Amino acid sequence: MCRLWLQSVCALILVAWLARLAVSQEDSREGLLFFEQKIRPMLVTHCFECHSTTTETNGGLVLDSKEGIIQGGDHGAAVDLKNLEASLILTAIHYSDPEFEMPPKGKLSERDIALFEQWVKMGLPYPAVDVKRTEKPKIDIEAGKQHWAFRDFSDQPISLPTDSSHPSALAWAARRHDAFILAQQQANGMQPNAAADKRTLYRRAKFDLLGLPATFEEIEAFANNPQPDAFEQQIEAWLAMPQYGERWSRAWLELVRYCDVPEQWAEIHHTYRYRDWVLNAFNEDMPYDRFVRLQIAADQIEDARDEDLAALGFIGLSPTYWKELQLPVEIIKSIVSDEYEERIYSWSSTFLGVNVSCARCHDHKTEPFTQQDYYAIAGVFANSRLVDRVLDRRIDSLQVIDAKKQVGELETKLTKLNGEIVAAEKKEKEVTLNETEKSELEKKRTERDQITEQIAKLKSIPGYDLPMAPGTIDATLEVKPVEQGHGSRIVYVDQPKEAAIEIRGNPNKLGEVIPRRYLTVLSDQQPVRFSNGSGRLDLANAMLEQSGPLMARVIVNRIWKLHFGRGIVETPSDFGTQGERPSHPELLEDLARSFVENGWSLKWLHKEIMLSSAYQQSSRTSDTRDPGNQYFARFPLRRLEVEAWRDTMLAVTGRLDSRVGGEPFDLNQTENGRRTLYGIVVRRELADMLRLYDFPDPVTHSPQRLPTSTALQQLFVLNSPFMLSQARGLFEHVQRLETQDKDFSDSTHVVDSTQRRIRLVYRLLYGRFPNDKELELGRQFVGDGSPEAWQLYCQTLLGSNEFWFVD
Amino acid sequence: MFPSIMNRRSALCNMGGGLGAVALADALQAAPMLHGTGPHFAPKAKRIIHLFMNGGPFQCDLFDPKPDLNRFAGQKPTGADLRTERPTGTLMAVPFKFAKRGESGVEVSELLPYTAGCIDDICVLRSLYTDNPNHGPALFMMNNGTLTPNRPTLGAWLSYGLGNENENLPSFVVCCPGRPVRFAELWSNGFLPGEHQGTYVNHSNLDPNKMIPFLSNASANFKSEQQLKQLELMRKLNQDHLATRNQNPDLEARIQAMETAFRMQMEASEAFDVQREPQHIRQLYGTGHFANGCLLARRLAERGVRFTQVYYGNGQPWDTHAGHNEATRKLCLDIDQPIAALLTDLKQRGMLDDTLVIWGGEFGRTPTTEGSDGRDHNPWGFTMWLAGGGVQGGMAYGATDPFGFKAMQDKVHIHDLHATILHLMGFDHEKLTYRHAGRDYRLTDIAGNVVHDIIRSA
Repeated sequence: MCRLWLQSVCALILVAWLARLAVSQEDSREGLLFFEQKIRPMLVTHCFECHSTTTETNGGLVLDSKEGIIQGGDHGAAVDLKNLEASLILTAIHYSDPEFEMPPKGKLSERDIALFEQWVKMGLPYPAVDVKRTEKPKIDIEAGKQHWAFRDFSDQPISLPTDSSHPSALAWAARRHDAFILAQQQANGMQPNAAADKRTLYRRAKFDLLGLPATFEEIEAFANNPQPDAFEQQIEAWLAMPQYGERWSRAWLELVRYCDVPEQWAEIHHTYRYRDWVLNAFNEDMPYDRFVRLQIAADQIEDARDEDLAALGFIGLSPTYWKELQLPVEIIKSIVSDEYEERIYSWSSTFLGVNVSCARCHDHKTEPFTQQDYYAIAGVFANSRLVDRVLDRRIDSLQVIDAKKQVGELETKLTKLNGEIVAAEKKEKEVTLNETEKSELEKKRTERDQITEQIAKLKSIPGYDLPMAPGTIDATLEVKPVEQGHGSRIVYVDQPKEAAIEIRGNPNKLGEVIPRRYLTVLSDQQPVRFSNGSGRLDLANAMLEQSGPLMARVIVNRIWKLHFGRGIVETPSDFGTQGERPSHPELLEDLARSFVENGWSLKWLHKEIMLSSAYQQSSRTSDTRDPGNQYFARFPLRRLEVEAWRDTMLAVTGRLDSRVGGEPFDLNQTENGRRTLYGIVVRRELADMLRLYDFPDPVTHSPQRLPTSTALQQLFVLNSPFMLSQARGLFEHVQRLETQDKDFSDSTHVVDSTQRRIRLVYRLLYGRFPNDKELELGRQFVGDGSPEAWQLYCQTLLGSNEFWFVD
Repeated sequence: MFPSIMNRRSALCNMGGGLGAVALADALQAAPMLHGTGPHFAPKAKRIIHLFMNGGPFQCDLFDPKPDLNRFAGQKPTGADLRTERPTGTLMAVPFKFAKRGESGVEVSELLPYTAGCIDDICVLRSLYTDNPNHGPALFMMNNGTLTPNRPTLGAWLSYGLGNENENLPSFVVCCPGRPVRFAELWSNGFLPGEHQGTYVNHSNLDPNKMIPFLSNASANFKSEQQLKQLELMRKLNQDHLATRNQNPDLEARIQAMETAFRMQMEASEAFDVQREPQHIRQLYGTGHFANGCLLARRLAERGVRFTQVYYGNGQPWDTHAGHNEATRKLCLDIDQPIAALLTDLKQRGMLDDTLVIWGGEFGRTPTTEGSDGRDHNPWGFTMWLAGGGVQGGMAYGATDPFGFKAMQDKVHIHDLHATILHLMGFDHEKLTYRHAGRDYRLTDIAGNVVHDIIRSA
């Protein structure tokens, strides 16, 4: 490290010295005249657009001063002072290196090239200009460390706003963080909205935690429960249900671009085991810090359980791009580099709320991440091979994969062989086989026995039958040329490697080798070199040790945003200097600290948020001053996500299948009652329903869903087989309930069976009874009361806004 | 040309909806627009039709004649740089003849006699190049400006920038009689909101109801007057719901979207139905999937679809690794008449001036042989052409080397092409940006130069 540094300093001094030397030799008058007449016009026409201090500095090269030319760009000095004819600038204009042809729009004429050569040989006479090459502004790491999101938690307690001792404030603020909200509302002339009524609150909160509708009976029981802590108890009860994990795991899965069906060439399977691991982690309230560490390095964390190996699906499910191995190494390498860029983007965005991938080609332009930082992390991913893992730490997964592959091939062979034997045996029954046929048959039987034995042996290796999940092992991918002819091959080596800087992001132009280590700006001191295997465990540890507060702020904000529809930071995956500032900085700080103090418990966080007065406000207001709701002076009216919307339909039609976890199903099966979480997600082709309803493309990290209201969505509501099936299902469910349930709790109001049925539909769908106008509209609609009319009625109510939006 | 408001209104009445339906029908006229960010300056083109020869045609067969290629056929002349990405053989002759066509005298291959008749409206770009010789990455580059599938595509950017011209139709439609390689990723909205994704239409079946998902009702007993009743009820319920919720804009947006959907059933059924074209127009385009695709594209362009992409066919039909000449002959027979028909038809309707037509593949092919009679992928140099939409017709821009292998003169990278297309649509490609993941993204990333030389000045 130290020697490298010394070398580069020496190189810099040398370049500077050479430059001064060249400049100090005074250019002759004739030389300068030659330059002005012949060369400058050429530079102006062909070069300055991309290579001058006043326009662009492509490749780091400027040509508007002699110093610039000698100092050169990414590829080194443009002119070799010791060997002028070998200068890069001449190679470029001669088009002798296909990778390096200038000007890019077409070769200069032979005459111009000759003039240019002549000029270089004259020693580049160039009028002295007072152009100071503006040094690339260096990233100020120390200043970066002071950025609010990157700071450590302070030791000082966070004091509540002063006016929170005011009686009205005390009365409103149910939780500590309400005080921060109230203070800002008051500072901006706003005030909290009235509390939502108990029925609305119950319905909202159940959707929020479980993604499922509240039944009429539940709502009424809650509304009539006089206990002061009824809501708190209810939240705890919901958090203890497996449906909680089904709902909230989905929020995580799109951050990590989860899919059930990856690219067709990907060598990973059983992806749903990662989904189920996330689901279970939510349900068992795994501390978030552990949740993170396991996803980076479950195989290397000592007290991890065998089933936790599935956590590595975060890495195992990384997108891969097609590598056509007939192509030369240079191209394959750039595809591999694109894959690492995606991994670094998803890793840094998901956990740290920053985008480090911007530093692949150059230091990040706006954030304190250097190109060295990027390659320090890229080294970790480059040493992590994507592979299915047996969920048992003692088992060698590669051996099992290999055995399974062999078994597959042998079984194909065996099937073919068996067919042949059966045919021969059939023939044997009909005619006498000749000697050749007999021995042929005998040979085949022997072969069959051998293969059967081989298969049995392969299947007996340890771990063969154990469940597997996508994951990673420490091994380093290398792209090599094929030994003979054209093309590339990919090999994995066991010796971990460091990554070298790819100049301008080009893996075929390597620079300095960067030891694997953590991001500088997030490290207290000079980051320590990663030395264990791939470096994943070191990385996981460094993330928590060096940037725990950042990670806490990011996840607390995500959960907050999912509850409120608006984040304290509105750019949930961008906590950098260019992201939005927190609307309530102390609130975020206070909540993040308490979250860590409470053992990184997400269930604690949900409860804390939901018990606040801010959460329990009504969504109805006539105050239009804050359309974006940045003061949280109301609860926003929220649209159900596609999962909750479909699940709710299944619930109200009595079709919901309550099984948790397992293999995914095809969402085009309109009658399937499994929750939408289990609908197959194909990375490169989403199901219609998901695609139409804002489900993010799982090709990379998605920071948040962007809800849209489109006509194509509504065509689905009006016409799709799924909606027609749900309408029929609802109608049938209503009929079923009518025969079971004689009394609908307020039968005194009921005058006839039509009215009774409408009331039942409203009760099921919206958790309330219809008013007189609604009854009348229903009555008019169903008219003669044919099953057809009722189904159309059911479909209309399922498609209504009241069914789609939550107060 | 379009069904008038009165027509639509009487259509609703005829559906048997009665008076209530008329009231609803009136309400259904209010078509809210999806507003884009708006162009940066006056656009030359208002809409685009992109004819995508998926698989990659060979430039020297069609628009880039190279006599040297035939002169040195069977050889690899010393000094010529013919290093292909994968091993290929010697130069393979082009058996097709070229002639100067039109007033401009731009040379066109005998394979495209009809198209040649329109050459004075066409600007041939002979010096395209791209960054990767594989279909997937090159398809991504052509569509989203990167080699990976994670970014918004050109059509999505245009939808984002321009919004809808016709609220009853999607702003970005992709037609293919089958499925092009990489499928839906080629019309992804990336990180832009979902409303900007392309609507995929498989026009191998010409029934509009088969083209657009859920355009027609799945029930066998469906009656449109019943649906109108449903709409009426839903509207009343939603209005009461809205009234007690302070006219929340999200609720209103969905009410509007529902009514747009209802209208779309009529408008899209009409717009996507090429069988409604008069006989002489259908004859003009000829028969076959590609002819239908071109005609469909014209109908959509006419009705305000911003960006219509027509993929030539299922998979990658232009990927002629073997039997190249024979295959090319057939493919050209298929595209020639429809292309000429499209250009002529647009011109006759006065639409060519502000409709940009783009033709080309994701890359070109090698002048050298693959196997005995095929040609391999070639990202180094290939031809595309533009017509209409403010582009100078009857010109050829840029040049490849003497064998048509690499772009040499006035090279145009895909980023440059994108910058130029956006420019024609009224956008500064450096300013059409979207903030995501901590920075402003754009279609052309950090590159792109507008090719001003091909833009008509007036």
